Amino acid sequence: MPAPDNTKASKAKREVAILFDGSLEGFLCILHAYYYENVSPLIIQTEDNYQPTLDTEEYHILSCSTIATRVQGGIIKKISPQAWHTLSSAYLAAYVEDKYIAMFRYLLLGFRVGAIVDDHLYEDCVLRVHKFARQVGRETHLLTGFCRFEETTNNIYYCPIEPTNYVLPRLAEHFSDRMMNQAWIIHDKKHGKAAVYNGETYVIADVPKDAQVQHTDSEAQIQDLWITFFNSVAIKERVKPKLQRQLLPLYFRKSMTEFQKKPTTRKTLKRKSLISLEQKDLPT
Amino acid sequence: MDIQEKLQLLTEAAKYDVACTSSGVDRKGTRGTIGSASACGICHSFTADGRCVSLLKLLLTNACIYDCQYCANRRSNDVPRTAFTPREVAELTMQFYRRNYIEGLFLSSAVVKTPDYTMELLIEALRYIREEYHFGGYIHVKAIPGADPALIWRLGHLADRMSTNIELPSETSLLSLAPEKTKPAILTPMRFVQKQMQQSKQELIRYKNATPFVPAGQSTQLIVGATPESDSQIVHLAQGLYKGYTMKRVFYSAYIPTNAKLPMVDTPLLREHRLYQADWLLRFYGFTAQELFKSKDENLTLHIDPKCHWALNNLDHFPVEVNRADYLMLLRVPGIGQKSASRIIAARRIGNLDFPQLKKMGVVLKRAKLFITCNGKMMEKLPWDPSVLEMRLSENYVGGAYTQPSLFDIAPAAIPMKQFAGKQLLLEAASDTTPFLTNIDDSPLPVLPPIEDAS
Repeated sequence: MPAPDNTKASKAKREVAILFDGSLEGFLCILHAYYYENVSPLIIQTEDNYQPTLDTEEYHILSCSTIATRVQGGIIKKISPQAWHTLSSAYLAAYVEDKYIAMFRYLLLGFRVGAIVDDHLYEDCVLRVHKFARQVGRETHLLTGFCRFEETTNNIYYCPIEPTNYVLPRLAEHFSDRMMNQAWIIHDKKHGKAAVYNGETYVIADVPKDAQVQHTDSEAQIQDLWITFFNSVAIKERVKPKLQRQLLPLYFRKSMTEFQKKPTTRKTLKRKSLISLEQKDLPT
Repeated sequence: MDIQEKLQLLTEAAKYDVACTSSGVDRKGTRGTIGSASACGICHSFTADGRCVSLLKLLLTNACIYDCQYCANRRSNDVPRTAFTPREVAELTMQFYRRNYIEGLFLSSAVVKTPDYTMELLIEALRYIREEYHFGGYIHVKAIPGADPALIWRLGHLADRMSTNIELPSETSLLSLAPEKTKPAILTPMRFVQKQMQQSKQELIRYKNATPFVPAGQSTQLIVGATPESDSQIVHLAQGLYKGYTMKRVFYSAYIPTNAKLPMVDTPLLREHRLYQADWLLRFYGFTAQELFKSKDENLTLHIDPKCHWALNNLDHFPVEVNRADYLMLLRVPGIGQKSASRIIAARRIGNLDFPQLKKMGVVLKRAKLFITCNGKMMEKLPWDPSVLEMRLSENYVGGAYTQPSLFDIAPAAIPMKQFAGKQLLLEAASDTTPFLTNIDDSPLPVLPPIEDAS
């Protein structure tokens, strides 16, 4: 990317409503259009979400991967790798109206000041973009703990999620490292996508929002054991539902085994030491 | 007894151990194995008491030869006894891990037969998990006091974190409540683990095939409230452990009555909370135990946190100028933590900061505004008086500072309203139900400064 010349050129720029296809590549091409085609965005919007107005000129961006790669290289080199990470995280955040324009302004500021763009903590665009990135990072982190896999009959572990942000790529990255020797599917029911891992690599594909899976016989038993563990590990004298709700919002509980299922078998233990440890019970 | 009953019994026996962190080690997965570890730790669920579940917390057995009075598994307690086989523990761990229920295993045990025998069982269980199931996730294991160092050495190479619980914060308490345990029996394995960790770090640099020994460090736990130790003693002990034993964490557990011989009242959770706050001040904020306690035999104040307490007693360090103060001084301002301090340092490279900008950046001003200036100005005009500041800092004004005035109360003495500008609230005449207000009892000036927004 060339150094932006925003003294003369910016005066001559046409102010338009920029429309793109919603992909990250498309978004990066806007930067190219700004510097080389002399357009300056009043608003940036995806083509689906745009409400046309009479007084604004529309400008359609064509996604081009070559240009996008160049712009990406420019961001990493002229701003910082950290800024690229922040930006690509922010891109995954749930849609709000000013998301793309904030990201755009963040990049403009970045090209002007360089790596210290992330220190401009009281600039609105920087704050916004950091907030989007944090939101995605936070939800990814929570879901790495909160999502639950179920064993299906064809030996694939299936995990349904319904995240607010599109965190599937980040989650897939995490689990392809962690669950390396088992095949799994993470199904994002909200965005209609799924990450499918075969034991070596994963792909992200479009999948219908409802899917039926067939569980193995042992699955229910293991779930029972887990619920037993989960209920016994709480200290009865210290029950604090408010704190629990604060740390684990109800929103996540829809797809969590321990909150959704009741154990199928329940046993009451004899309190007195009728059961005592015999010598033969001890492992040798 | 089937596996479900065993799981229930041995989980309930293990639940009083508070440590459940899965942090401190970053390890990528390797092909053909399962499991990785993440340095920040991952919580997988939260129980009804609001504690995080990240590890499968189990006792291998609850059949104990010891008779420690604070413990629910003591020999003389009439509870059902059972034991897992090492194979069962390994199988459970793997099944739970494959479903992403847990981050790893926390394995502890009552002392069965001898400490050495118990350690051998623990090693057996961990060996199955690591070597047969190729598990690369997090494992926290207890070192049994009094066990042979060779066994600790073996166990430490299979686990990520090892802990030895001190439980009772002084030797006299230990003697009276846990007569079979001795101070050296607890401290020797700690010292051994510390030495091995140092050695292992060097070996890892030097030799290709060296395996790490307890890479996530060791931790310990203290029971608060079962014995008469003061907070000062406990925090000084914790500091000694952090410095002398390079302990990664010291956990505090407010005592829950399990035995009629001990006080049957719950220790207030607030005390436990204050101890944790003091602990954080030691580890992340550059405080020392000596600074937090002016004299020995002192407890932490319950109505304000230890950092505020320190600030009020050291008002000569304040107010701090945000645009100039160094990082360590910013950290000492109540309400400013590591995140805010580093944000301030970063943002002031660009330009001078003022209060609206601080607020925008996410610095919480509720407490901080009483102790900082921006370009030489305070945010509010406030009397520089410890008692007024203390009232502002009290959490929810505990201690009855705000109470519903009654029609039948005797009108308080005339209060000089002109003294401070802004909205004023009258406090009813300080009564003796307000312990921290008693020092200003004589003065007819219990004036509350304006309440800030609940933000």
